[in-house]
Amino acid sequence: MRIDVERSILQSADEAAAAIRALLSERKIFALNLLSSPGSGKTTLIEALLSRFDGKGGVAVVEGDIETEIDAERIRRHGVQVRQINTRSTCHIQPSRLLAVLREMDLSATRLLLVENVGNLVCPAEVPLGEDARVVLLSVTEGDEKPLKYPLVFRTSDLLVITKTDLLPHVTFDVDRVRRAARAANPAVEIFEVSAATGDGMSALLDRIETLRAAKSG
Amino acid sequence: MHELGVAGEILDVALSEAARHAAKKVTSIRLRVGVLRGIEPENLSFLFGHLARGTPAEGATLDIVEEPVRVECKGCGVSEARSFTWACPRCKGEGVSVTGGDSLSILSLDVEA
Ligand SMILES: [Zn+2]
Repeated sequence: MRIDVERSILQSADEAAAAIRALLSERKIFALNLLSSPGSGKTTLIEALLSRFDGKGGVAVVEGDIETEIDAERIRRHGVQVRQINTRSTCHIQPSRLLAVLREMDLSATRLLLVENVGNLVCPAEVPLGEDARVVLLSVTEGDEKPLKYPLVFRTSDLLVITKTDLLPHVTFDVDRVRRAARAANPAVEIFEVSAATGDGMSALLDRIETLRAAKSG
Repeated sequence: MHELGVAGEILDVALSEAARHAAKKVTSIRLRVGVLRGIEPENLSFLFGHLARGTPAEGATLDIVEEPVRVECKGCGVSEARSFTWACPRCKGEGVSVTGGDSLSILSLDVEA
């Protein structure tokens, strides 16, 4: 006997993501899901966002990592609310785990939620977390082939942040090639070029995130 | 590596559908998988076989229908490719946007009562 199913394999994950989306919109929290390979600068971007929002309060961070708490410790020093999700054998944050963590956190004053996903460009791209915007970071040291090798993450991200641009003179990385590939994967993607070392481009990126956040949470 | 999570989801859906129809055995599972998912069919089948051991889906085959990348090209219309590309596979023009190729669906199950 044949049973017709015709359902997405990710349906149960999608249901959990929808519950997160509902929780966030009820509380007017703007959430970013940060994706990249290891070492592209996710934690550094989070630190820059924390400095930007310093004194305004209302930032909470969820750190996803396979085993360690290193990034969470680094963020905790900034005095913001941080929760760690160790994913063990899973290579992405599952929405059901994030939902459980969010339900335990005190989000009464939170206006900005930053989720640092596990460092790889494949699995986290497949699983939406109910975020308002997805940010993919690509450092110039990783090479300009990444959008061709991992198209899904570029297709599903709202912002592409090209990081470590101060190193461009020392590496083979064609920024225009990456821009074209990312635009083909997602014509609406917003592309930023930044260097955390020199500060170049950082304020434009932080301004844009603040505008997006304010549009949702005031 | 990410095929493991996908294999687990397929098994969950297959077992719950089989139970809902009071089927004792799942013999095959038909899937639609978009090229953009970057899934290795052989790896997926291997991991599924491993997870399905001792369940009603033990020995079930995965029948994978591959969905090509679908590209809308400003130059020549619509074309399809076997892998992601930012240039049109037909006219090589660069004014393309990707409009399909990320399916990850279970289409049907063959079961025995
Ligand atoms: Zn064409």
